Amino acid sequence: MTAQAGNGRAHVLVVEDNPADVELLRYALSSAEVQCDLMVIDNGGDALAFFQQRGKYSGSEPPDLAILDLNLPRYDGIEILGAMRANRAFAGVPVAVLSSSPSPRDRAKIEAFHIGRYIMKPPNLEEYLRIGLIVKELLEGGRSVS
Amino acid sequence: MPTFRDLPIKQKLVTIIMVTTGTALLLSGISIVGLDSILFRGYLARDISTLARVVADNSTAALSFEDPASASESLAALRARTHIVSACIYRADGTVLARYARAGSVPPCAPPGIPNEIRFTRQDLTATRPIVLNGRRIGTLALVYDLGEIGERRNLYGGMVLAILFASAIIVFFISSRLRATIATPISQLASATVAVSRTRDYGIRARKFSNDELGLLVDAFNEMLAGIQFRDAEMRSVLLSREDALKEAQSARDSLETTLASIGDAVISTDIEGRITFANRVALALLRWPETGVKGKNLDDVFNIINEHSRAPVESPVAKVLREGDIVTMANHTILIARDGTEIPIDDSGAPIRREGGPTQGTVLVFRDVTARRRADETSRLLASIVQSSGDAIIAKGLDGIVTSWNPGAEIMFGYTSKEMIGRPISLIAAPGHEEEMPRILDRIRSGGRIDNFETIRRTKAGRLINVALTISPLYDALGRVVGASKIARDITGQVQTAAHLAQLNADLRQSNDDLARSNEDLERFAFVASHDLQEPLRMITVYSQLLVKTYGSGLDDQGEVFLDNIVGGTQRMRDLLADLLAYTELGARPGQPAEAVDLNTVLQKVLENLKVSIADSHAVVMASALPTLEAHEAHLIPLFQNLIGNAIKYRGTAPPRIHVSVAEADGHLRFAVADNGIGIEPEYSEKIFVPFKRLHGKGIPGTGIGLAICERVVERYGGRIWVESEPGHGSTFLFTLPRAVNSQGCAPESAHISAVKEEA
Repeated sequence: MTAQAGNGRAHVLVVEDNPADVELLRYALSSAEVQCDLMVIDNGGDALAFFQQRGKYSGSEPPDLAILDLNLPRYDGIEILGAMRANRAFAGVPVAVLSSSPSPRDRAKIEAFHIGRYIMKPPNLEEYLRIGLIVKELLEGGRSVS
Repeated sequence: MPTFRDLPIKQKLVTIIMVTTGTALLLSGISIVGLDSILFRGYLARDISTLARVVADNSTAALSFEDPASASESLAALRARTHIVSACIYRADGTVLARYARAGSVPPCAPPGIPNEIRFTRQDLTATRPIVLNGRRIGTLALVYDLGEIGERRNLYGGMVLAILFASAIIVFFISSRLRATIATPISQLASATVAVSRTRDYGIRARKFSNDELGLLVDAFNEMLAGIQFRDAEMRSVLLSREDALKEAQSARDSLETTLASIGDAVISTDIEGRITFANRVALALLRWPETGVKGKNLDDVFNIINEHSRAPVESPVAKVLREGDIVTMANHTILIARDGTEIPIDDSGAPIRREGGPTQGTVLVFRDVTARRRADETSRLLASIVQSSGDAIIAKGLDGIVTSWNPGAEIMFGYTSKEMIGRPISLIAAPGHEEEMPRILDRIRSGGRIDNFETIRRTKAGRLINVALTISPLYDALGRVVGASKIARDITGQVQTAAHLAQLNADLRQSNDDLARSNEDLERFAFVASHDLQEPLRMITVYSQLLVKTYGSGLDDQGEVFLDNIVGGTQRMRDLLADLLAYTELGARPGQPAEAVDLNTVLQKVLENLKVSIADSHAVVMASALPTLEAHEAHLIPLFQNLIGNAIKYRGTAPPRIHVSVAEADGHLRFAVADNGIGIEPEYSEKIFVPFKRLHGKGIPGTGIGLAICERVVERYGGRIWVESEPGHGSTFLFTLPRAVNSQGCAPESAHISAVKEEA
């Protein structure tokens, strides 16, 4: 259902403001041997523009998977998620939400969007490495559908 | 059957006419018939006489010649006359020469009677005639004529008369029927008018006039009479009405006088000239204690006993004095009436003579009243006056113009002016600077009948000192209920005002510091929440990256490097625990998102034991519990409460395996829980410090963040309870806390303890 790059590598969009987390994600993905191109957006404004295909993102194409950190400065993660689901082009993209928020209320709100995965940012390396496996599973699930 | 008298006039008229006419006709008919038969007899006598002479003359020759044939011949000529019954010719010697008889009859030719005679018998007429020749009687002729003709005639005439009578009766009836109307109609009109008048008593009715005859006159007279009656009737009626009005007026005047007298507030007794009671009103009877009946006719002195209040000597009744002096008498004060039952009633009384203007005295009237209430009022007012005099408050009266009319000693002391100085002077003398406007406003309010309660203001004393006063001002009324002034009670509240101001300041300060405290508390909470939440992020990074460092480069480190890295990992782990507890603690301060619900503490305890499964197993702890109640609360609060207390009991155990007992008891309307252990106990001086966040009594030997008991305290206080510890070092501790009464205290009897979870010693 989503465009695959010519080389067969999956496109994964990461919305995350903390480079250290991005770095850990890369490590986890490579540990899990996930072959993908990572596109990183590090602020809420750009994320919103991307999902609404505005400005420099007017030609943006839906990725195979979106990994979203919803705790972005100045932006409500729910709003970004809402914008993404409102755009028909992105409506079908599988999403994994990465969150450090332990609030059950936020979690309930997010679940209303039928997110593929809701992942607490792991407190240790071992669990972090498991994210790579989850992403791999999500990407393969997407492929089997398409 | 109605007699003639009772017949209606029209029938009477017809009857009268008919009878009159009939009678006249009948009489004339009878006369005519009678006269006719008389006249006819005469005529018949003459006729037969003539006939006899003719026959006699004709028979002269036959007789003289003795010729019976010729004689019979001449007799036979009589045949023409049918009524001739017989005829005989006698000779002079009386023998019969010839005879004639009508067919069918045999005439006896009786010897002739007196010649030349006409003789009537009942049935016939006999005529005898001498037969004369030359002046000499030679024979006699006798004729018998029957009188049947007369009967025939009479019958004929009688029939005619009857026919005429009948015909005229019919004609008369019709004529009279027409004519009677001219008389009967006016009369019946008159009669019905009369009936109408007598029935309706309406004298305005008039009979209709039909003619100018006597009936017309009668109608006129009748109508005139009616008019007269009508006029008289109206006059009489108006006279009657006016008399009735006058009567009513007189009656109502009497009634009202009587009512007035009876309901007058004073006792009224009237007597005749002899001093006997003729009237006593209700008030009088009530005062005298006499029943309504019984006083009338009694001598006043027997009923009205009065004595002098002081001397108790009988006082002469005012009536006697009035009768003696013939003038109004007012009794002196201090009169006491002794009522029938012996009650003594102070009264005022007066007597007056009853007489028409200029006339002689007819009796007396005695008026008296019970003055008990007035006496009491006098006493009350004396009492009030002494209260006013002795009151420590200033009690002042003033007119609506603000001029002081009364000034008590309290006012003298409070304001420094004597009553001599103030009475007659304006109240504005004691006005404080800046408060001059108050007094006219107060007077306006009083003038409209309002009052002022506890109005706190400032007044100035004679010495110029300003004092705080509380004023209660109410209107003063005269007897007619008009506001004529104001009474003012002033209380010096200078001391109170100062105290109150001081108190208010203290209160305000307290509130301020309270608010400050609450705000700083709130700030602190928010800070703690944000800190514990946000600090977790970098901490997580440190943890994960140090792990990554170990994983990636661990093989390149020497022993010391590994220790360093282990310390980093351990430190971050501890900090994470601290932050998690801090977060839990601050979240307990947040408002609850969900309403409280019924929470079964037995279930809570089960969950807690499940959470502590590992440490219970490791320490061989035994946890026992009474049956616990159900509370209206949040499970998320109660689990950490019990978990921390039981966890601590296990953690701070002595050498023996921990034995922990959870129990509940009712106390002072709430529930008191106890978690008792056999652990190391707590020194008394620390029994309060242990509830302070992050306060720990033990070093790293026993792990912990020092937040557990702070969380417990927070939970308990959140539900309005209290938590404390009772402990003897070395002999275990009992943590006690109170919570509001159970919603469902079923099965919470503390005695029926049972073991909820037992971990037997291994």
